[in-house]
Amino acid sequence: MSASVSVSDPVISVIGLSRRFDAKTALDSVSLVLAPGAVYGLVGANGAGKTTLIKHILGLLRAESGSVRVFGLDPVADPVGVLSRIGYFSEENDLPGWMRVDELIRYQRAFYATWDDVYAEELRRSFALDARARVKTLSKGQKARMGLLVALAHRPELLLLDEPSSGLDPIVRRDILGAVIRTIADEGRTVLFSSHLLDEVEEVADHVTMISAGRIALSAPLAAIKESHGTLAKAFVAHVRSAAPLSTGP
Amino acid sequence: MQSHALAIGWEFRKRHAWPLIAMGVYLLGLAVFRLVFYVPGEPITVVPPDGRAATVIAPLSWAFFYYLAVFSFGLSGDLGARQSIFPARMFSLPVRTAALVGWPMLYGTLTVGTLVLATTALARWPWGIEAPLFWPALFAATFLAWTQALMWMPYGLPVARPIVTVLWLAVLDAVVLLAAHFKVSEPVMLAILAPQIPIAYLVALYAVARARRGDVLDWRPRFMRAAAVVGTAPLRRVAFASPARAQFWFEWRRHGRTLPALVVMVLPFELALFWLARDAPALLLELLILVLLTPPLLASVIAATVSRANPMAPDSHAMSPFVAMRPLSSADLIAAKLRMALWSTVATWLVVLIAVTLVLQWSGTWPMVQQRVSRLVEIVEMPRTIVFTLLVLAALVAATWKQLVQSLCIGLSGRDWIARSVLVAVLVIIIFSGPVVQWIVDHDSARAMLWNSLPLILAVLVALKMLAAAWVAARLTRSGVLSDGALVSGAATWVAGVFALYGVLAWLVWGPLIPQYVLVLLAILGMPLARVAAAPLALSLNRHR
Repeated sequence: MSASVSVSDPVISVIGLSRRFDAKTALDSVSLVLAPGAVYGLVGANGAGKTTLIKHILGLLRAESGSVRVFGLDPVADPVGVLSRIGYFSEENDLPGWMRVDELIRYQRAFYATWDDVYAEELRRSFALDARARVKTLSKGQKARMGLLVALAHRPELLLLDEPSSGLDPIVRRDILGAVIRTIADEGRTVLFSSHLLDEVEEVADHVTMISAGRIALSAPLAAIKESHGTLAKAFVAHVRSAAPLSTGP
Repeated sequence: MQSHALAIGWEFRKRHAWPLIAMGVYLLGLAVFRLVFYVPGEPITVVPPDGRAATVIAPLSWAFFYYLAVFSFGLSGDLGARQSIFPARMFSLPVRTAALVGWPMLYGTLTVGTLVLATTALARWPWGIEAPLFWPALFAATFLAWTQALMWMPYGLPVARPIVTVLWLAVLDAVVLLAAHFKVSEPVMLAILAPQIPIAYLVALYAVARARRGDVLDWRPRFMRAAAVVGTAPLRRVAFASPARAQFWFEWRRHGRTLPALVVMVLPFELALFWLARDAPALLLELLILVLLTPPLLASVIAATVSRANPMAPDSHAMSPFVAMRPLSSADLIAAKLRMALWSTVATWLVVLIAVTLVLQWSGTWPMVQQRVSRLVEIVEMPRTIVFTLLVLAALVAATWKQLVQSLCIGLSGRDWIARSVLVAVLVIIIFSGPVVQWIVDHDSARAMLWNSLPLILAVLVALKMLAAAWVAARLTRSGVLSDGALVSGAATWVAGVFALYGVLAWLVWGPLIPQYVLVLLAILGMPLARVAAAPLALSLNRHR
C-alpha cells in the first residue's frame, strides 16, 4: 500500500522502497511524498519500520530497491547536499560525551552556513544548559535538549525527529513539541515526526502516516482521519493493530 | 542457570570461548606435528630467540592480551574515564561485591594460567624445550589480576587509569624479568608471585565497592584552580574556519593525542637505560634502535582505535550516526583522519627527538654516538651520511603514519568478518614467517636463492599492489565517492612521491649489486597506495549500509 501527497516539488520522495535485514523484511514497497511547509507524523508500533525509513531518508541506509530523494537529491550519492539542509534528532542521541556544551555548539556551527548564533544561544539559555558542562555529565533530559539545540540552530529546511520524546519527562517533551511548533512558524519548513505516542502526533501533525510491519497502513491529513475515525487512536487500532508485524528494523 | 557464578561464567563463555578452543586445538596440532612429522635437529631456544618459537609465542601473546581485555572488561569500557570500567549493569545484580569481583577474577586467572601452563607443558614435552613449568602461568594470572584491579578502580583524574596500570604492570614485569635474569629458582618465583593474587583481589574489591556506591573522586577542580592561577585556564575559542577544520579538531581530540601520550609514558623507561650503556656502545646502539622503533610499534597498537568506526560504542562496528550525519563527503571525513594521523606522528617524533637528544647529553653517551657518526662519515662521506640519516628518520616517521592509517580501510568498513579475517591472516603470517625466516637464516643455499629471486618477488608484490589499487580506483569511480579530478590528482601525487623516493634511493645506493629497477620496485612498494585509497570506500560502505 502506498500513499502520496500531490505536489510539484516535494521535500521527500520515497518510491517503492523495500529493505530486508537477513530474512526479515523491514520495509516493503513503501511510497511516500512529503510536500514542504507541513508537519508529518509517522506513527507505528515499535519495530514497525519507522526508524528504518528515516535512516533511508538520511542516507544512512542504501535503498535495496526503489528510490529515495530528498530535496530532489539522492542522500547516498550527495550526503553533503542533503544533510546540510536537515536537522535530525533521535532517541539514540549519540552526541559525543567528551565534548563540552560550548565545544559541541562550536563544532556543529562549522558545518552549517545557515547556523544562527543568536538562536543557538537563546535555545541554550532557555534549556538551561551549562556551556562548560561535558555532554556525558548531562542528564537524559538535558542531553535531549542538547540534541534538539544542535538539530534546530541552523534552521533546517527539514526537521527529522525519530521518537524524540521516548523515555523523557513531560517538561522535555513539551520543549520538543515547542521546537516543532517554532520550526513550523518558519515559513516553508517541513517536519517529519516519528512516534508511537499518538497524543503527541495528534497535537502537532497536519498529516499522519501509519506504518505497520514495514508497510504504509494509512496516510492522510489528520483532519480527514479524525473525520472518518473520530480519533487518531481509533484509526490506529483499525489500521495498524490488526496487521501482524513482519519484522523489526536494525 | 542455578547460580550467579554460573551466570557470570556463561556470559564470558558465550562470547569469548572460541579463541581458547582454537588455541587448544592449535597446541594439540603442534604436539601431534612434533610427534609424527618433526625430525629433531637443532634445539629450539627462547634466549637467544629462535624464529620457530614464533609458532607458539605469536598466538599465545595474542590470546593472552585478548583475555586480558576480556576479563578486565576493557573491550567495552572507556579507559580514559574517571569512573570504573566494571560494567555498571552488574552493580544492580542481587550479588555481593565480593562475588562480583571474585568470579571474573577466578575465571580470568584460571583461563590465562591454564593457557600458559598448557603452552609451557607442550614446550617441555613433546618439543623438549627447557622452560620453567609453573611460574610463567602464575605470572600470567598475577598480571591479569592486577590489570583487573587497576582497571576497575575509579580515579580522581581522567586518563589516570592507563597511566597507573601501565606503570604498575611495568614494575611487576621488571621485577619478574630481573628475577628470571638472575635465574631465581622456581619455588622462589612462586613465592614472589603467589601472594599477589589475593592482594590484587582485595584492591579490586575496594575498587568495585567504591564504584558500586558511586564513590568517584574528582580532583579536576584542584587542577583547574591551579591552571587558572598560572594563567592556563580554558580560553575563549574562535569559530572553525571550515567544516574540514572542525572535523580535524574532532579527530584530533578523539585520537590525535593518544600516540604522543603513549610514547611519553613508555619513553622514560627506555631512556633510563641509557645510563646503563655509558660504557657499552653496542648496548647503546640497541637501545637507540629500540627507542626509534617505539613510535611505529605503538602506532600499530593504537591503529585499531583510530580506525574504529564508532569510538563512542566499542562493541559496535557500525558507524556512529553522529559522525555519519556530518554534512561532509566520505572523502573529507577520511582526509580529516589522515591529517590527524600526520600531526599526531609529527608531535610524537618531536617528543622522541627532543627527549633522545637531551638524554644523550645528560647520560654522557653523546660522544659514543658522535664516534659512530664519524666512522660512517669516513666510509660514505658527509653528504651521504646526512641524507642517510634524514632518510632513516623520514622512513621511521612515514612508517609511524602508515601504521596509524593503513588499517582504516578495515576498521571503517564496519564489517566484523573483514576485521576477523584480517586478524587471522596476520596471525597466520606472523606464525609462519618466524620458522621461514629462521630456515633462511640457517641455510646458505636458501639465502642465495632468496637474493637471486628478490627482483621477481618484488615484481610480484608490485603487480599485486597495482592490481589492488586498480580495483579500488574502479570502485571509487563507480561509487562516486571520489571525483575524477581527485582521483587523477591523487594518482599524480603518488607518482611524484615514487619518483622522489627513487631519486633519493638511486643517489644513496650505488654499486653493481643492486640494479636500478630494483630501486624503482622498492620505491613503488614503499609509497602507500591501495589501502589508503580504499579507506573512503570502506567508510562510504559503512556510512550508507
